[in-house]
Amino acid sequence: MRADASRPWLAVRLGCTDYEEALALQRRIVAAKNAEPSMPDVLLRLEHPPVFTLGRRGGAENIVAADRTLDGLEVPVVQVERGGNITYHGPGQLVVYPIVDLRRAGLSVVSFVEGMEWAMIETAARWGISAETNSRNRGAWVGDDKLGSIGITVRRGVSFHGLALNVNTDLRPFSWIHPCGLQGVGVTSMAAILGRFLDMEAVGAALERNLEAAFRTILEKSSFAALIRHLPPEEPVR
Amino acid sequence: MKEISELNFPDDVRYADDHEWVRNEGETATIGISDYAQDQLGDIVFVELPQPGDRFEKGAEFGTVESVKAVSELFMPIGGEVVAVNEALEDAPEKVNEAPYAEGWMIRVQPGDSAEMDALMDMDAYIQRLKDQE
Repeated sequence: MRADASRPWLAVRLGCTDYEEALALQRRIVAAKNAEPSMPDVLLRLEHPPVFTLGRRGGAENIVAADRTLDGLEVPVVQVERGGNITYHGPGQLVVYPIVDLRRAGLSVVSFVEGMEWAMIETAARWGISAETNSRNRGAWVGDDKLGSIGITVRRGVSFHGLALNVNTDLRPFSWIHPCGLQGVGVTSMAAILGRFLDMEAVGAALERNLEAAFRTILEKSSFAALIRHLPPEEPVR
Repeated sequence: MKEISELNFPDDVRYADDHEWVRNEGETATIGISDYAQDQLGDIVFVELPQPGDRFEKGAEFGTVESVKAVSELFMPIGGEVVAVNEALEDAPEKVNEAPYAEGWMIRVQPGDSAEMDALMDMDAYIQRLKDQE
């Protein structure tokens, strides 16, 4: 691994962000990095309002519930270009999108995915939860239950999308799908395991420390405004 | 992951920056990904390819490979019209890992501009580029 601590990643907290809005921002960052390789790598930390997302190979057949109403609102379904099959995002799930030039970082796709797995497992361990990798499916698992998921896309060497760790997630919507297209597996959260809700900020900070260790980098706290200044202006709306 | 010296880079193909290769076969040219690329990706579980008849410019996205929860986009090393795709990869995507220059080929095209082929790297230049980024 050749990651270079002299090139910190810009770490930006977005708070609760609409899925498609966050995706549009990621695509802008990837385009900017493809055009200008000296642009720093970026880590976005956020949560999403409830949404099901389908991977490149679909997964709509893995929606098993006729009714997708959560707290009076229908959970939307969005098709995206990342790897993996169907998943659910919602409040209480810690989502991290590292937008990293894997070539410059000297990371293979495999080692990048493994680093994210390791960071999630170490974070769970910090709260006494024993998670592990599973040969059936990438991510962080507690027994046969999935605690954290991974799905990325690599565009000209730049990775986007990322990981989702269930901290305080409402797990009911996962029962409406076959997560990741797998049958007979469950989904869990740190709160479900510990029997209490956790401080999202504390878990987010721990996960960031573990990602720094996994990728031998430094996260430099930044703001959305500072990030936008790195990006070319958006195409004008016609 | 393997060392560069353990990987296979035949000298009958030319290589692109995005790690695709092209084999010139006269009227047509065959395209796939290099041994380095497949090694970086890990076990490939799905390959998405275009249809014969599709036309792409050099640098356009023509498909994707999926491995370890990662979708990697594939880009045309040269422009041209697709005349054949390797349908065997639908059921056996692992052929890209096992034989990236043979059974793991991806598409065959009718090149638009032969000068684009000349602009690609030969084996020595590609190996040197891989060593430079180590």
